Amino acid sequence: MRHILFALACVAFGVGGALTPAAAQELQNSQVEIAYVEPANATYRPIYERLRARQVLEELRFFLAPLRLPRKVLVTIDQCDAPDRAYRPGGPVTVCYEYVQQLRELAAKIPADSKTQRGVSRGDAIVGAFVQVVLQRMSSAVFDILDIPLWGREQDAADKLAGFLMLQFGTPTARKLLNGAAYFFEASDRTWTGSDFSDTRGTEAQRFYNYLCIAYGEDRRTFSDFVESQGMGRRGEQRLDVLPEARAARCPKEYADLKWAFDSTIMPNVDQDLLEKVMARKDWLRADDGR
Amino acid sequence: MSGNTPHMNRAVGLFSQGLVSVLAIAVLAIAATLLGLALWPDRLAAQSAPALTNDQIEILYSEPNASYFRPIYERYKKRQVLEQLKEFLSPLVLPPGITLRITAKECGAVNSWWSGRASGLFLCYEWPDFAERVAPLDITGDGVTREGAVLGAFLQVTFHELGHAMFDIYEIPVFGREEDAADQMAGFILSQFGRGVARRTLPGAAYLWQQLGNSDGPWRRDAFSDEHGHPLQRAYNYLCMAYGADPETFRHYVDDGLLPKDRAPNCAREFRQIRAAFVQTMLPHIDPVKLRLVQSRNDWLMPEGSEPIPK
Repeated sequence: MRHILFALACVAFGVGGALTPAAAQELQNSQVEIAYVEPANATYRPIYERLRARQVLEELRFFLAPLRLPRKVLVTIDQCDAPDRAYRPGGPVTVCYEYVQQLRELAAKIPADSKTQRGVSRGDAIVGAFVQVVLQRMSSAVFDILDIPLWGREQDAADKLAGFLMLQFGTPTARKLLNGAAYFFEASDRTWTGSDFSDTRGTEAQRFYNYLCIAYGEDRRTFSDFVESQGMGRRGEQRLDVLPEARAARCPKEYADLKWAFDSTIMPNVDQDLLEKVMARKDWLRADDGR
Repeated sequence: MSGNTPHMNRAVGLFSQGLVSVLAIAVLAIAATLLGLALWPDRLAAQSAPALTNDQIEILYSEPNASYFRPIYERYKKRQVLEQLKEFLSPLVLPPGITLRITAKECGAVNSWWSGRASGLFLCYEWPDFAERVAPLDITGDGVTREGAVLGAFLQVTFHELGHAMFDIYEIPVFGREEDAADQMAGFILSQFGRGVARRTLPGAAYLWQQLGNSDGPWRRDAFSDEHGHPLQRAYNYLCMAYGADPETFRHYVDDGLLPKDRAPNCAREFRQIRAAFVQTMLPHIDPVKLRLVQSRNDWLMPEGSEPIPK
């Protein structure tokens, strides 16, 4: 499962990542169908070309090989004529060119060859946000197809499963992905008032903190700099780009609950032999990824 | 998500027709307590159903220190709120060695909480007091009555905390945010009383959060780090559960703009998700024999629209 993320990261970073024919044939999830839909708007054509050349969806299908799905699911990259398109039961998983464009624009707020105070580079922001949206949409489909009992709001559940999967990459990559995913929500300047709160999704600020909390909950030492007490500003002012201590204290339990939910509902649908084979691949990222 | 088996549907039906009766008793008892009224005939209070007991549930009324809360304490005891709640919960099959403790107490804050398996569930006297202060003096333009606001606020927090207890005791997988999940548990239970009770309680539950949300100014980013949702998110979630459970009864939520048209079409699906989660994770822990016994006590259920009987 963790290698799905490597593959997606590979795409986002701009790595070729082509599979050997033998490996691709052996490890494919025949229940996952893919399609790159050519955008009508020429603005998105470079994104289309790039993602297609990088075989993003082929990589996703490859890395979903261990997941036993009782029915087919179509995964597409498409022009949505809207900022985003949520997964609907039975319907395709769609990542919108518009969304990819937006995440690239937000990442561009970070100067090239620079990092945010929390250590997010422009490349991290692009990779993390892209992997996040793909895994979040795929998580919704997995809940639907496997008929997973869902307590809590579905969109939050999909965020949490996506964050959980990001952590399976191993520490360095997980940090890039989660930090980058969190940045995407952190960078939004949307203000919520009144009926905005009727949205089925959490606010960007909530989702930002949730991703940091998943990371910190999994490994308090590695992600200690995601917490306020470890990351006060130089003048001692309160930072708004890290977890407040009050929330951080609860994150280990939140993560334990998330892991229990995964182990008890999704893991029984994962083929362990295929998982081992998928995990044997090690060279998913390159040094110039994300540039 | 919506693919219930016939067995599941029968089970949900049992829940709706049986356990709901007991729940309704608890609702009315608690309502009576909050409002200082007697909503059921004395014969019902005098009756006991030995079969609807559960030795793994313990209840305790803790005497308050503040004289201010003494009337609430006395009313709780007199109306046997916790005894009614215990009966309502008696069909729960608790794991061996687990005791569900429910304590009514003065907490020093407007709160109620699940404190883990050892300490149990704490229902604070401050909460009904707070609910009465927030409740409208007269019926609102949206049709929320004072009684409904108090009742809904009290029941939503009680069943919300009960939700935390169930998730913990039964080790129920919770993929979403647990605080939202606990609200869903509360909303689902309140929606299972039939139209009359749902009309009286769910709008009240939403009203509380609307009032709290509207009284707040804009939140700074770090306020959103709380594991609870924004009060307005919680209000919309309750409105959505009500509409999702019964679009006909709560259609005015959409017509009057209380529930935005962007959210409303999704509510039926959201409710099916909650019902499916309940069926898959909670129903296996409910004793079917006791459920049938609960069904046999339908005479406890007050007719919808019954007026309170002053003591």
